[in-house]
Amino acid sequence: MEQLQEILKEERQQAWREELRKSMKAKERTDMPRVKMLEQDPVERAANHLEVNLGLMEKMAVSEARRCLDCANPTCISGCPVGINIPKFIKRIEKGEFLESARVLKETNTLPAVCGRVCPQEVQCESECFYKIKLNKEPVAIGYLERFAADYERNSGNISVPEVSEHNGIKVAVIGSGPAGLAVAGDLVKWGYDVTVFEALHEIGGVLKYGIPEFRLPNEIVDVEIENLRKMGVKFVTNFIVGKTSSVEDLKEEGFEAFFVGSGAGLPNFMNIPGENFSGIFSSNEYLTRINLMNAASDEYDTPVVSGKNVAVIGGGNTAMDSVRTSKRLGADRSMIIYRRSIEEMPARVEEVKHAQEEGVEFMNLNNPLEYYADDRGRVNKMRVQKMELGEPDSSGRRRPIPIEGSDYFVDVDTVIVAIGVSPNPLIPASMPDLEVSDWGTIKVNKETMESSIPGVFAGGDIVRGGATVILAMGDGRKAAAGMHEYLKVKARNK
Amino acid sequence: MADLTTRYLGLSLKNPIIVGSSGLTDSVDNIVELEKAGAGAIVIKSIFEEQILLEAESSLRKAYEDDMIYSAKAEALDYLDLHIKEDTLSNFIKMVREAKSETVIPIIASINCVSPVEWTSFAGRVEQAGADALELNIALLPSDTRMGTGEIEQIYFNIIDKVLSQVKIPVSIKISPYFSNLAQMISKLSATGIKGMVLFNRFYSPDFDIYNLTEKSANTLSTPAEMSNVLRWIAIMSGRVECDLAATTGIHDGKSVIKQILAGADAVQIVSALYMKGLDQLQLMLGELESWMDEKGFNYIQQFKGNMSQKQGTNPAAYERIQFMKYFSEIR
Amino acid sequence: MNKITEKEILNSSVVKLVVEAPRIAKKRKAGHFVIVKIDEKGERIPLTIADADPDKGTITLIIQRVGVTSHKLFRMDRGDIIMDVVGPLGHATEIEKVGTVLCAGGGVGIAPLLPIARAFKEEGNRVITVLAARNKDLLILEDEIRNCSDEVIIMTDDGSYGNKGLVTHGMGKVLEREKVNLAVTIGPAIMMKFAALTSQKYNVPTIASLNSIMVDGTGMCGACRVTVDGKTKFVCVDGPEFDAHLIDFDEMIMRLGGYEVEERKAYERFLKTV
Repeated sequence: MEQLQEILKEERQQAWREELRKSMKAKERTDMPRVKMLEQDPVERAANHLEVNLGLMEKMAVSEARRCLDCANPTCISGCPVGINIPKFIKRIEKGEFLESARVLKETNTLPAVCGRVCPQEVQCESECFYKIKLNKEPVAIGYLERFAADYERNSGNISVPEVSEHNGIKVAVIGSGPAGLAVAGDLVKWGYDVTVFEALHEIGGVLKYGIPEFRLPNEIVDVEIENLRKMGVKFVTNFIVGKTSSVEDLKEEGFEAFFVGSGAGLPNFMNIPGENFSGIFSSNEYLTRINLMNAASDEYDTPVVSGKNVAVIGGGNTAMDSVRTSKRLGADRSMIIYRRSIEEMPARVEEVKHAQEEGVEFMNLNNPLEYYADDRGRVNKMRVQKMELGEPDSSGRRRPIPIEGSDYFVDVDTVIVAIGVSPNPLIPASMPDLEVSDWGTIKVNKETMESSIPGVFAGGDIVRGGATVILAMGDGRKAAAGMHEYLKVKARNK
Repeated sequence: MADLTTRYLGLSLKNPIIVGSSGLTDSVDNIVELEKAGAGAIVIKSIFEEQILLEAESSLRKAYEDDMIYSAKAEALDYLDLHIKEDTLSNFIKMVREAKSETVIPIIASINCVSPVEWTSFAGRVEQAGADALELNIALLPSDTRMGTGEIEQIYFNIIDKVLSQVKIPVSIKISPYFSNLAQMISKLSATGIKGMVLFNRFYSPDFDIYNLTEKSANTLSTPAEMSNVLRWIAIMSGRVECDLAATTGIHDGKSVIKQILAGADAVQIVSALYMKGLDQLQLMLGELESWMDEKGFNYIQQFKGNMSQKQGTNPAAYERIQFMKYFSEIR
Repeated sequence: MNKITEKEILNSSVVKLVVEAPRIAKKRKAGHFVIVKIDEKGERIPLTIADADPDKGTITLIIQRVGVTSHKLFRMDRGDIIMDVVGPLGHATEIEKVGTVLCAGGGVGIAPLLPIARAFKEEGNRVITVLAARNKDLLILEDEIRNCSDEVIIMTDDGSYGNKGLVTHGMGKVLEREKVNLAVTIGPAIMMKFAALTSQKYNVPTIASLNSIMVDGTGMCGACRVTVDGKTKFVCVDGPEFDAHLIDFDEMIMRLGGYEVEERKAYERFLKTV
């Protein structure tokens, strides 16, 4: 830790940083308001699937970068789950060296274009910004700046492809091509390993492709990153389910020496209330996979989706926001969020909630479904909802929702999406009985090396954390890569 | 040879001794043992709304302590309590089903209610699992100064209403004696369509540890002395209600069983007796009941049930007397 | 690459395709299925693996054209490539020596029934198979079934072949006359429902292999959920076989109709282009 502090101090004392700090008075900086992200108009965007946030223009980015005071003690870094060198990348933007800024980001974060868009900065880096904690002002728009630098690099065509060490011929298998797997692949291939990523679906990217909608994270951005990895030598195999198509043992026989399990938390949770199996009631996974992965909304694609006029989404996280905003775009008259706690307590990113409200999503907070009813074809047409009030706080500090007796009422719905959370995918643990798993089905790992109870098998991301975030998955991936590197070095020595 | 069969909640019991909801009835193995020991019916250990919430709490807390789990506001943990509740309920239902498949005596599922809201769909599932009857343990201590009598009592009716609309199996309720007009309350409740009432719920008794200055629990097990209040009210209400009555608390021997039946109880529930004296106590109690019946010349329980209730008894005023008068005269 | 190496049209609506899939062929056991996506814009559909040749590295799929995707498969030729094939999915059938096994297959359900009947026969069981179809033309794999059954009873709705009647009539005849230790039924959901009711009357343990709507096939989306013994199960990871007497068939049939309107419209649109 001290080592890191020393490095940060040294870097801060470099001439170019000092110059930048001197170029403007602190008061001038803090007087500037936080930049506003350019966004598509709410009414327009509620009818298309294009990205809502349009990105900052260069001048705006430089101006926002100036707000950053380059603190002697950069508290923002402590808010970042992977410890990105935030002041350094922001100051490069201020200097106008955008490509350099992207390079700084990529030292720690494999997919900055993704994180800049989907990280909940308001509870991570930005929540620890000096502006927020000391000045009680809006923090520096760290997320917008990260996105800016990453997008600039991508659009310039000058994407820095890291140098790859000499091939060492050691084969490693990465199971799952989501953020965790991509991060592991990126590091290991750099260090000269022969990396193959096995993906169960027909597309690479995991939740980045099937879970997060186009209007938040366009698939082409993910594809650019994947292409980079291919350029570096990573091999991708789709339609391959480790544990079914071949087992880890089979792969060992084929010469793979270390494994990373990044199979994610894909198991959908339902509420188990009466009527939940009627047609027209989906898990958010099914709904979003049909639309994001299979392009079901387009007539050109064969996969159908049924999205009606009165859509209710149960839940309060980002997945619920994604689902409800998608339903709006698919032509719903009413797109409702039914969440049992208050709007402030929703786990979704603040920006998503704001965008959803602007797009006309109805927030029915302090409501909870009790039962679904259907027509004689078995298609859902009504639900019974109950009002809640907030009682005593639970362990998380959030107030517990208590049903209000006699408050139930009916709501007409023709589509219901259950977005109350996901659990770890059970396929790999089921195929490896020696793998230690927690009560919730998450794989237990050593926190430093990310190695599981089976030597040579590492894990990270949602399969270890339960549904979490992209940045944490990537952080796990990088840690696991380091752990695997050590493991393989020792293994080679002992041969 | 006396015939001990009795009807309770419309179910045929081979004898009137039911083992009540307790740690004795919390697993299929235990229930099988109790059947072997001679129980006439079993009440499966109550499932508590609060217990579920506490379990959810402790699971959440464990999750936060494990710092691999994301955060307090994690989307994945948002509905954790729901899953825990579902798990607890499923386990309970599984136990009902397994108990039914391994025994022949009636299995009564017990639910501890504080509000009607949670249990409506659950009651239906318990019925599907094969429970022969439902016992709703409605334990509301009138300790909330803001709630008036009418309000508290209305909750009872709401709970019963909700559950009766969900199930076809017989429903009984277990109540406490804390009502301002207990007789009227018991009467009104009995007319709701429930098939039985169990008198009385035994609350957790608080005690103080004056050395460590902490609270602790007193008398977890009942004492025979606690029987008399139940005896009184069974005697008073027998013949005056539209449903069956079951007596519980302080019934530790065969004599007490006989007394409660004389007062008018259709069945009795025992717990502490078995804790204190072991499962053999059951046979002993049944033996005492049988011998007494033989001695008195009763072939069937019906022949003496309620003989000493207020309605049928020889000294009706005795039950209403709550003060000692003239130094223990009159009532011997 | 998933190249089609053989194609055989079994009748006016059913085709048999042999596809290159070496890894799947090696791992495949009776009861397994694959998810198939023909091309870039295609949908993912489940298909039972009717047979596999680990040496040649191929799997056999038998498809009935009822909608856009199955119809496209019907029209594919030797040498064509199926873009995505993933498997083997689901749990393999538990094959045991139990005595007498009654297999009841309806329509295209006879295809997935074949490997199971064969496996039970190879395990030493007496296998009686009842095959049912609407008419003679729609009856498939009769010879293959005869090769692995001690007795075959054929039922057609219109009596154009074998006996006139439904699969349940055929089953009833067998169940009446001899002790059956296990029944296996595969076919349209409504057929399996009544087959299960029939075997239940004789208290014969029965397995049904379900054909729910699926998207990913790996337990991720819940589209294939079905209620078994009061609990929600996913056909793709918990099944595809379940105790037939515990399946809520009515709910399953209702769920199968979930995309009926959209699928019919799409199929009509597609047929116009053919």
